[in-house]
Amino acid sequence: MASVSVEAVRKRYGALEVVHGIDIVIPDGEFVVLVGPSGCGKSTLLRMIAGLEEISGGIIRIGERVVNEVPSKDRDIAMVFQNYALYPHMTVRENMGFSLKLRGAGTSVIVEQVRRAAEILSLSSLLDRYPKQLSGGQRQRVAMGRAIVRNPQVFLFDEPLSNLDAKLRVQMRTEIKALHQKLKTTSIYVTHDQIEAMTMADRIVVMHDGIVEQVGTPLDLYDRPANLFVAGFIGSPAINLLRGTLRRDGGRNWVATDAGIDLPLGGNAGGKDGQAVVYGFRPEHLALGNDGGLPVRVDVVEPTGASTFVYADLSGAQICGVFTERHGFHSGETMHLMPQLDRVHLFDAGTGHRLVG
Amino acid sequence: MSLRKIFNEARLMLLGIVIFIWTLIPIYHLFVMSITPRVETFAGALWPSRPTLENYETVVKQGHYYLEHFWQQLWNSAFVAVMVCAITLAIASTATFAISRLRVRGGRLVSNMALATYLIPPAFLAIPMYKVMGVYGLLNTQWSLILTMVTFASPYAIWVLKQYADKLPYELDEAARIDGASPLQIFRLIYLPLMAPSLVAIGTYALLLAWNEYLYAFLLLSADKDITLAVALGHFLTTDDAPFNVLMATGAVYALPPAAIYYVFRRYMVSGLTAGAVKS
Repeated sequence: MASVSVEAVRKRYGALEVVHGIDIVIPDGEFVVLVGPSGCGKSTLLRMIAGLEEISGGIIRIGERVVNEVPSKDRDIAMVFQNYALYPHMTVRENMGFSLKLRGAGTSVIVEQVRRAAEILSLSSLLDRYPKQLSGGQRQRVAMGRAIVRNPQVFLFDEPLSNLDAKLRVQMRTEIKALHQKLKTTSIYVTHDQIEAMTMADRIVVMHDGIVEQVGTPLDLYDRPANLFVAGFIGSPAINLLRGTLRRDGGRNWVATDAGIDLPLGGNAGGKDGQAVVYGFRPEHLALGNDGGLPVRVDVVEPTGASTFVYADLSGAQICGVFTERHGFHSGETMHLMPQLDRVHLFDAGTGHRLVG
Repeated sequence: MSLRKIFNEARLMLLGIVIFIWTLIPIYHLFVMSITPRVETFAGALWPSRPTLENYETVVKQGHYYLEHFWQQLWNSAFVAVMVCAITLAIASTATFAISRLRVRGGRLVSNMALATYLIPPAFLAIPMYKVMGVYGLLNTQWSLILTMVTFASPYAIWVLKQYADKLPYELDEAARIDGASPLQIFRLIYLPLMAPSLVAIGTYALLLAWNEYLYAFLLLSADKDITLAVALGHFLTTDDAPFNVLMATGAVYALPPAAIYYVFRRYMVSGLTAGAVKS
């Protein structure tokens, strides 16, 4: 096992730069998820760490060793691909033992290691099958078995679950996390799915347009998003964002929207009077208010059983609320909702940065 | 609806039968003449009155002036064909691996140029090729024919194989690289096994191309012991009084190996030769 450090790493294709100087330090044994919309450079970064893409600038270290010029096969890493990339002409056993065979391991070592990995992943009964005889979930497990069989320094996952159906994805998510807790191998996991990122990561790296927007624990990102992008990307249903102007008058702070609504703020809000801001609050941080709350008209009610999603109109802006109690909302009715003041996020409308009080 | 389907099936079947018969007529004549005694050669019968195997006996026992070196010439044909097949496969598989998998700079240009060579009919190159072989002192050796046929077979082989190679997911190579494979190991352990069906198709193509070649074999080889059977068959026609029955019997024997090869590998041929029909 080893730490991974990425220092000012860049990737250029000709004149086009797609990764603009990224710094991340991943301590030994950590499970880090790179998340972001497609085209944000997360896969490119992972492939640079894997040695499948050349590095245009900066330094990548695995452990103490600079690996910029080290070929993939000598980096002591294992990778799980989105489309599994199993060798179709080899059985599960041969697929899993391939890397050990290439490294000249003895037959007894290969047999033992494959047996151990197969046991961990419950693949023991499938060892003599060919990839085409396996289901999607089983193939995904074989791909993971191939990775763990030789005890690499680092696991790399490139959207490994996106070809699975929703139910299996949830199940495999848990399995991968359990596997990491058992093996404690440094892991870097790329996904565009923020739920996957939130549920699996020790730390999340949010990427956008080739830069890192924020690095932090899942709850860190959720509770204290550093900017509008992170606030909007993390969380489902998405955070409610309303534009307005910050007002301070004596001890009272509020945000006045263009539609003439005054959004309440707690005492510790940052920013100057008159500053253009974006007011954000998460759907579950809304309470049923009495007359003092924000007046909204309910548009759509979506009960999921565990909670109820309410989409409502606030003077032309659509907001979403999530309630775990069953209040019996009806579309068309008018009601008052109140954001929890200590959970309100304030961002500068120009830079998008979080305003800290 | 189903009546219409039956009608369509029947129409296709009828067309198939007509084409089948049309294709078989020459082969039928070849066979009938090969089992007809000499005196009846041009009797015009659909079936000889006294079918005989004596023509085949003549062939096998080399019992005719034109067949003095029959077995040697059959061996020559086989040797040339197998060598052309092997060398073409070696060239095409390594070339396509470099172009499609290692993604060597300029690879696309090479594969497009390979196809462009097909704009020149091989017959146009007969005299230049003869001259080249003369310069290198290879005339009258089987290597001149082998090298020539490899020259003609390789571009097409590269083109077709590249279509197949491009379809293999690139992640397999990446997974192998991460698993610790060198390019040579990827070629041997991943690429060749996965390309096996198309290699069979292309190998068969090169083999049959060389086996059937007449023009270049006639041009580059002259000694009776060096020539291939195709050229030897041509020699039958150098007299006014050609022994047609024996010629047909020899022809039938000559046609057997390709027919057998085609039959064994027919599954690969169909899929192999349609690849490359559409540029993907």
